[in-house]
Amino acid sequence: MSTALSTISRVIDRRQAVIYPAPAVIVLFLIVVLPIVFNLYLAFTKWTVGLGQPRFIGLDNFIDLVSDERVWNGVKVMVYFSGLSLFLELVLGLLIALFFNREFRGSEVVQAIYIFPFAATPVAVALIWRIMLNPEIGVLNYLLRSIGLPGSLWVSSEQTAVLSLVLVDVWKWTPMITLIVLAGLKSLPPDPYEAARIDGAGTLQIFWHITLPLIRPVLIAALMLRSLDNLKEFDMIYTITQGGPGTASETLYLYSYMVGFGFFKAGYGSALMVVVFLIVLVFNVVMNRLRLSAQNR
Amino acid sequence: MKRKVACVALMVMLCVVTVAGTASAQVNWKQFQGTEIRFLMNKHPFTTFIEPKIPDFEKLTGIKVVFEVFPEDQYRNKRTIELNAGGKLDGYMIMPGQDDLYYWKAGWLQPLDAFIGDSKLTDAAWDPKDFFQSFTKASTVDGKQIGVVINAETSLLSYRKDLFDQFKRKVPATMKELEETAKFFYGKEIDGKKMVGITLRGKGAAATSQWVDFLYSFGGSWTTPQGKSNLAGPGTVASFKFYGDLLKNYGPEGGSMLHWAESTSMFMEGKSAMIYDANVFKSLYENPKESKVAGKVGYAVIPAGPAGSVPHVSNWSLSINKNSTPERQKAAWLFIQWATNKPNALGALLVGVPAGRASAWDSAEYKSKDTQPDWTANTKKSFELGQPQWNPPVINVPEIRDITGQVIVDAIQGKDVEASAKKAAELMDKKMEL
Repeated sequence: MSTALSTISRVIDRRQAVIYPAPAVIVLFLIVVLPIVFNLYLAFTKWTVGLGQPRFIGLDNFIDLVSDERVWNGVKVMVYFSGLSLFLELVLGLLIALFFNREFRGSEVVQAIYIFPFAATPVAVALIWRIMLNPEIGVLNYLLRSIGLPGSLWVSSEQTAVLSLVLVDVWKWTPMITLIVLAGLKSLPPDPYEAARIDGAGTLQIFWHITLPLIRPVLIAALMLRSLDNLKEFDMIYTITQGGPGTASETLYLYSYMVGFGFFKAGYGSALMVVVFLIVLVFNVVMNRLRLSAQNR
Repeated sequence: MKRKVACVALMVMLCVVTVAGTASAQVNWKQFQGTEIRFLMNKHPFTTFIEPKIPDFEKLTGIKVVFEVFPEDQYRNKRTIELNAGGKLDGYMIMPGQDDLYYWKAGWLQPLDAFIGDSKLTDAAWDPKDFFQSFTKASTVDGKQIGVVINAETSLLSYRKDLFDQFKRKVPATMKELEETAKFFYGKEIDGKKMVGITLRGKGAAATSQWVDFLYSFGGSWTTPQGKSNLAGPGTVASFKFYGDLLKNYGPEGGSMLHWAESTSMFMEGKSAMIYDANVFKSLYENPKESKVAGKVGYAVIPAGPAGSVPHVSNWSLSINKNSTPERQKAAWLFIQWATNKPNALGALLVGVPAGRASAWDSAEYKSKDTQPDWTANTKKSFELGQPQWNPPVINVPEIRDITGQVIVDAIQGKDVEASAKKAAELMDKKMEL
C-alpha cells in the first residue's frame, strides 16, 4: 500500500509540469479550442438548426458571402465604427492622461469619477444611452433645444447612427486608455526631461520629442487591448440599435449573430464568424509587430 | 299541462346531467399522477395569468408542472436551441404564424388531433367548437392541429376620442381619410405638447407585422400564386409607400427605429393622435398608472384601402414537443386542456388577454365588466375580417421579414421605394425556403 502511494507521489513529482496545469488546460480546451474548431467545421457546412444535420458544402458559404451586400456593409460599418472610435479614444485618452499626470487638489476624486463609465456594466449603460438618444423623449435633444440648437436624430437616422454609437463608445472606453497611458507616464524616467529642460526645450517640444516616443509602446499596447473588444463590439450596438436603422449600424459581427441566432443558419453564420476572427487576428498580428518594433527602437 | 312541462323539463335536465356526468367521468384526471412536465413560456400576460393557478391543476391531476418563463427575444432563441438539443421539454408557447412551418419541418410539433379525439384524454366540456375557427385554422399545419390558442390577436386603429370630439373629426374609414386625419393633427399644439398625427412601428423586421395589414388592404401579398416573391408587385409597393409616407410625414421623428415599445409610449405620453398596433396594447393605453390617455381612447378596425379592410389575426398557442415521451405528452395535453378550458379563457379575458373562445366574449360576466365595449366590438369585427398570413408563407420567416423590413426602413427614410422593393423581391426569391 505504502509503496503504491509512494509510486503515485513519485509520478506526480516527476510530472508536475503536466499534472498541475492540466485542469486549466482541459477547461480551456473545452470552452475555447473546441468551439473554435467546431465553428470552423460548421463554416464549411449548410445547416439550419433543427432541419437535418450539417451538410458539407466546401467553400460555398465563403463564395456566397463575397456577393452578400450585407457582408460588405458590415465590413464598412466595422471599419468606420472601429477606426473612428479607436482614434478618438487614443487621442482623448492620451490628452486626458497628460492632464491627470500632475499634482492638483482633488485629483484623486476627479480620477475616480472619471473612470466611472469604464467601470459600469455595458448593457445597463447602453440601455440608458438608448433612452437618452431617443429623438422624441431623449434628454440629449432636450438639452440641445434648451440652448437653442436643433435636435438630432442620433441613432434614428442612417447618417448619424454610427457617429452616435462612436460617441457612446468613446464616452465609455476613453477612461480605460487614460488609465493605461497614465500608468505609462508615471513610470517614465525623469532624466531625459531634466536634460531637455536644461537645453531649453518648450512643453510642446518635450511632448513631441520625448514623451511621445517613450510612451509609444504603451499607446500601442492600449490600442491592442481596446481593439480586441472594439472590433467585436456587440452588447452596446445590439442594445442601442440592433444594427439599425435598417442595416446602417450593423457591423459584420452583429450580422453574423443575426444569421446564426436570428435566422438560425448556423453554417453561414459560422463562416461569417471565421471572417470576423481573421480580421481581428490580422489586425492584432500587425499591431503586435508595431509594438515590438517600437519597443526595440 | 304545467306538470307535464315540468316533468319533461326535469327529465331533459336529468339526461343532460347524466350525459355531462358520464362525459367528464371518462377523463380520469389522475391518470398521470406523479408525472413531471416542463413548459417553456414567453413572458406574456397569459403566462402571468395562468402561472399562479398551476397549484390548482397540480391538485386536480397530481402532475407536477415546471414553468420556465423568459422575455420574448431570449425566449425564441432558447426554445429553438433547447428543442434542437433534445432536452427534457414537454410543451411550449408558439406563434404558429411565425414558427409553425419551421418547427413542423424540424419535427418539434406533436399533432394534437389524436388527443382531442380521445374521450379518455379530452373532456367533452372542453368543446373544441367554441374556439374561433380562424385561430384553429391558424394553428394547423398540413391538416394537423399543432396548438391550442391562448391569446388571440389582431391590430386596431386606436385614436384619441377626446381630441376627435374636440376638433369634430370623424374616425377614418378609408386610407385616404387616415392620411388626412394624420395630417390634420400633425404639428398641432395640445396641452403644451406638439402632436404627431400617427405613430407606427418602423423598425425593419418588427414593423412587418403591422405593415402587413396595409399590404393586404392595398391588394398586395407576400407571394404570387406561383410562389414567387410579390414584394415588388403594384399593391405591395403601394402599401410600402403609403406606410412609409404616413410615418415619415405625420409620425414621430426617427420613425425607422420605432418598435412597439417606443411607438406605444408616444401614444401613452399623449403625443400622438392615433396609433396602429396590436389590440392587446389596450391594457397599456388604459392603465392610468402608466398612460396619460387612459379613458380617452377609441378603437376602430383598419381603414379600408383599395382592397377593403383586411387586418391580420395572429395567436399564441400552447404546443407539445414531439420528442417528449408519450406519457409526458399526454400529461402535457391534460395541462393544455386545463389551461385553455372555458373558465380559464374567461378568466384570462377578464384580465385583458383576448381569448380565442367565443363563449368567453359572449359571457354575461365579461359583458358586465367590459369598460371598452367599442374595443370589444371592433376586436371581434377584426377577428371576422382577419386573415392569418401575417408572416411570409416560408420556413425562414425571420430572414424574409428582415428583407421586407429593409424596404419599410427605406420608405421611411425617403428612398426610392420601387428600387428597394425590387431588390428585396430578388433577394427574397433567392433566400426563401418553402
